[in-house]
Amino acid sequence: MAEIVEPFEFKQCLSILKSTGKKAKNLRELRAIIEVISDECVFHHTYQYFIKGHVLEYTNDFAHWAGESLEERALSEYLSNVDPYDFLDVQNLRQEIIRVLDTYLAAFPPPREAMPGDEFYFNETVTLIFPVGVRARNLAEFFTAMKFVEPSSIYYHFYEARIRLGKGIDDFSRWIEDSFDKKDLSGRIRSIDPFMHSIQEIRTHIVSTVEEEVRRDMEVVDRCLTSM
Amino acid sequence: MFDKYVGISPKGDLTLLQLLGEKLNGKSFLHVNSTREGGGVAEILQRMIPMLGELGINARWEVIEGDAQFFDITKKIHNALQGNHEEITEQMWVHHLEINRKNSEKMNLEADAVLIHDPQPVPLIDFKKSGVWIWRCHIDVSSPQKAVCDYMTRYCRKYDAAIFSVAKFAQALPVNEYIISPSIDPISEKNRELTDREISETLNKYQIPPDRPIILQVSRFDRFKDPIGVIKAYRIVKKYNDCTLVLAGSPATDDPEGEAVLNEVREYAAKDQDIVILLLPPFSDKDINALQRSATVILQKSLKEGFGLTVSEAMWKSKPVIGGAVGGIPLQIIHGVTGFLVHSVEGAAFRIRQLLNNPEMSGQMGQKGKEYVRMNFLITRQIRDYLSLWYATENAGKTILEL
Repeated sequence: MAEIVEPFEFKQCLSILKSTGKKAKNLRELRAIIEVISDECVFHHTYQYFIKGHVLEYTNDFAHWAGESLEERALSEYLSNVDPYDFLDVQNLRQEIIRVLDTYLAAFPPPREAMPGDEFYFNETVTLIFPVGVRARNLAEFFTAMKFVEPSSIYYHFYEARIRLGKGIDDFSRWIEDSFDKKDLSGRIRSIDPFMHSIQEIRTHIVSTVEEEVRRDMEVVDRCLTSM
Repeated sequence: MFDKYVGISPKGDLTLLQLLGEKLNGKSFLHVNSTREGGGVAEILQRMIPMLGELGINARWEVIEGDAQFFDITKKIHNALQGNHEEITEQMWVHHLEINRKNSEKMNLEADAVLIHDPQPVPLIDFKKSGVWIWRCHIDVSSPQKAVCDYMTRYCRKYDAAIFSVAKFAQALPVNEYIISPSIDPISEKNRELTDREISETLNKYQIPPDRPIILQVSRFDRFKDPIGVIKAYRIVKKYNDCTLVLAGSPATDDPEGEAVLNEVREYAAKDQDIVILLLPPFSDKDINALQRSATVILQKSLKEGFGLTVSEAMWKSKPVIGGAVGGIPLQIIHGVTGFLVHSVEGAAFRIRQLLNNPEMSGQMGQKGKEYVRMNFLITRQIRDYLSLWYATENAGKTILEL
């Protein structure tokens, strides 16, 4: 009798934006507020940047603001190089951002202030998580679903999961390893750098990787039949 | 009503709406504003109330009534919150409160959630009976007149939460402040799909040649929309590309400068046969839709802007949009992805030429723009956000809510 596999239940997360009422018009104010603002706020401006339809020139809101509003290209490069998934918690990430800002402020003359209305606005989110009503019982169903689930579902399982599960593990690779014992396949999914791809690219990578695995499994059956 | 959005709005938004509908089933949701028709708020409420009903929520919509003096005062408050200098005396504030008190006696203010739209009915909070009360500010309050803002804050601090359209409009208030963008309705007359024949009818009616690229700006004749700057940009483009410029707008009864600006624009356009200036009558939604669908490039070259929903309207028609980097426009245009943000006449001209000469890039930007609007600026997302906020307020203190 075939082993019963726990289906993969696709979930999705959507957020509503909440203002902290705080804003910074220059780098010193930005640094001072980052030091004391809530973890939720730092989380929103770094980890949740990946859910936006962003251009890969920047990787967080702080870098985006430094590049676009202050036109401090070098600083935006330094900030964009801060990978939030390198840190165990938001507190360590916050310290790294402050370190980058302090180094820059010590080495370069003070940059101009942002134009009125173009200040950095510190926000947080309230996030709602809910099932999308799609379940996959095998890999074929899984990659089919992956083609059409919404970007925020991929964000939830691939990006947000890393914070829930830790150690660079996402929901997709964990389910594949736990349910099918396919360590190579889950390893290939884990090796996709979340920092270097848009959600659409993550989707394409996972679909092609899993589809190839399913096809290979099917081809084994074909070869068996041919040798008969 | 809800079914009409299936296949148009993101499935996740519709799923979440249904789940929130189950959570809030049978509860009452009261909206109060100051007009039954005319303006974006009334337009959205006309659609939203029946949809909330279909989700199992007992939604009601009340309209505040007042005398001419009341609306004169509230117009001044509105202008002062948008940064104009206005003199509002203590007597005026008393009248503002008094009219709200009279309305509170006639209205049924009992509800599980109450959403008060804009400054006119703000003092109703003093007559709160029950439920969660939220103030929804639709206007640009990024640089308000301080004294008026301080007076309004006396009321705002009594609410459970406040909503602003853009983060930079949020003030340092002692209540939870949420950011919820406005939205467009994809099945309204202004945004629904049109047949080729419907589009041709509009072009024929206004004698716009269909065989040349059309550059379009739809906006009131207001200096902040920079219609003269648009003509200047067109004149630079015209040296390289044959095209028609269409400037289309409706007269605004509350804008005394409109006519003067229109005359300036006509004079500046001189007798250029390729510039079409259209003063459209109110309720020209289908013609605006047709003009947007027939355009090659759409501009919103504003110098100052609230949210600028005409940008989302244009993007919904798969058109590349060139917008001034002001107000809510940068929230809609991702520079180089769904359109271009510009800071000058020269910048606008350069981007128009780029798009006219690269139809493939225009097409890709248009498609990405439409998808961006689908994910972020449709009415279903706005209703989803209102219900999410209500649910979050009932579960205060939690930043993650699992349904």
